Amino acid sequence: MIRVILLVAGLALAPSALAAGGDAAAWWAWPLALFTLSFLLGVLAVIAGVGGGVLFVPIVGSFFPFHLDFVRGAGLVLALAGTLAAAPTLLRSGLASLRLVLPLALAGSICSLAGALAGFALPVNVVQSALGLVILAVAVLVLITRGTDVVAIEPDAFGRLLGLNGEFNDHLQQRVQWRTRRTALGVAAFGGIGFIGGLFGLGAGWANVPALNLLMGAPLKLAVGTSGLAISIINSSAAWVYIGRGALLPAIAMPAILGVMLGSRLGAHLLHGMPSVAVRRIVIAVLAIAGARALLRGLGVWP
Amino acid sequence: MAVIAPASERDPQHTYARWLELGTRIVFAFGVLALALYLSGLVAPLIPLRDLPSLWTLPAAELLREAHAPSGWAWLRYLRYGDYLNVAAIAAFSLLSLVCLARVIRAFLRCGERVQALLAALQVLVLLAAALGAFPGAS
Repeated sequence: MIRVILLVAGLALAPSALAAGGDAAAWWAWPLALFTLSFLLGVLAVIAGVGGGVLFVPIVGSFFPFHLDFVRGAGLVLALAGTLAAAPTLLRSGLASLRLVLPLALAGSICSLAGALAGFALPVNVVQSALGLVILAVAVLVLITRGTDVVAIEPDAFGRLLGLNGEFNDHLQQRVQWRTRRTALGVAAFGGIGFIGGLFGLGAGWANVPALNLLMGAPLKLAVGTSGLAISIINSSAAWVYIGRGALLPAIAMPAILGVMLGSRLGAHLLHGMPSVAVRRIVIAVLAIAGARALLRGLGVWP
Repeated sequence: MAVIAPASERDPQHTYARWLELGTRIVFAFGVLALALYLSGLVAPLIPLRDLPSLWTLPAAELLREAHAPSGWAWLRYLRYGDYLNVAAIAAFSLLSLVCLARVIRAFLRCGERVQALLAALQVLVLLAAALGAFPGAS
């Protein structure tokens, strides 16, 4: 617990220390700090099973000097790049399903466009406060959600029409057949999640996975893999709004993308040896503090 | 004699995976090169690096005005600048899904999966409309 407090304090104080350098601080100091943070988030995200995108925006938006427009844009493409890298392997192994993603990503990508446009139309303090509330809700969701492998699903007619079934090999090399249920509700859920992701520049794995697993009955591993594939399509759509608006500054977006991609690779190597429960607790603590900071900043209480 | 690929390899899902893997590797390499050229100053940026700390605290619309920077697709005319080479890399990442989905439409039709082909086509249209800024307020 003491190490958690020190880690969070370090994340909170380091940017202030950089800012204290004022104009004398070199321009590269913040992108370097951003690369380092993104690398750590990439490692944490793999081990804790929570995407780097949902950690990136509240932390950087709360503790770095960049305007929220650029933080949201960077967060979106950071989540996009990470999921693009992982998708081919997941598709080949059957742990992500293109057929399952197609109807869900279609709803998600249309709504994420709307969310991205709404984000530019709203006052920044409103977006910041709403971001804080959403991140606090995400912290609670991550704390209470336990995945499950539901068996004997009775597929609905809509799911049968869309061909939402398949199979993959589990870790024991046994064939697992799957199908889904509540397809229309799942599509609607992905629409809502897509809107939030586009609005705040978040990766949406924290919501996609429960929607696929608990709502639609997809096996947990398939839900995690398919969520990543969905994000790679949904975030591609919203990214164009940020590109068109000039809200993707290379000095912010590129160090973040490279940092999280490299950190994710290290995290994948460390996954077996690290206690994921302890790391998950760190992530929840970080989300809670960053969410509170974002909310208070948006309300003008803690500028 | 033509080599017939195993059924699983002809699966549209595998086609998507192959195209995505190749595309991601190419774009990632381009992104690393673009960033190196930008940060090293070998390709001069439109917005000087030393000016960034005074600009990145501004809303995006204000930064574009202050820096006389392009919006929409106008950045294509600025590829001689290091920062916009990086914007090109980010745009390429955003195009990957569209290209892969367009590729698998025919694969789905060949497998007789007309509903999936239609969904993939609709998704391509949405991504194309997003890329072209067809939605009000997109740029």
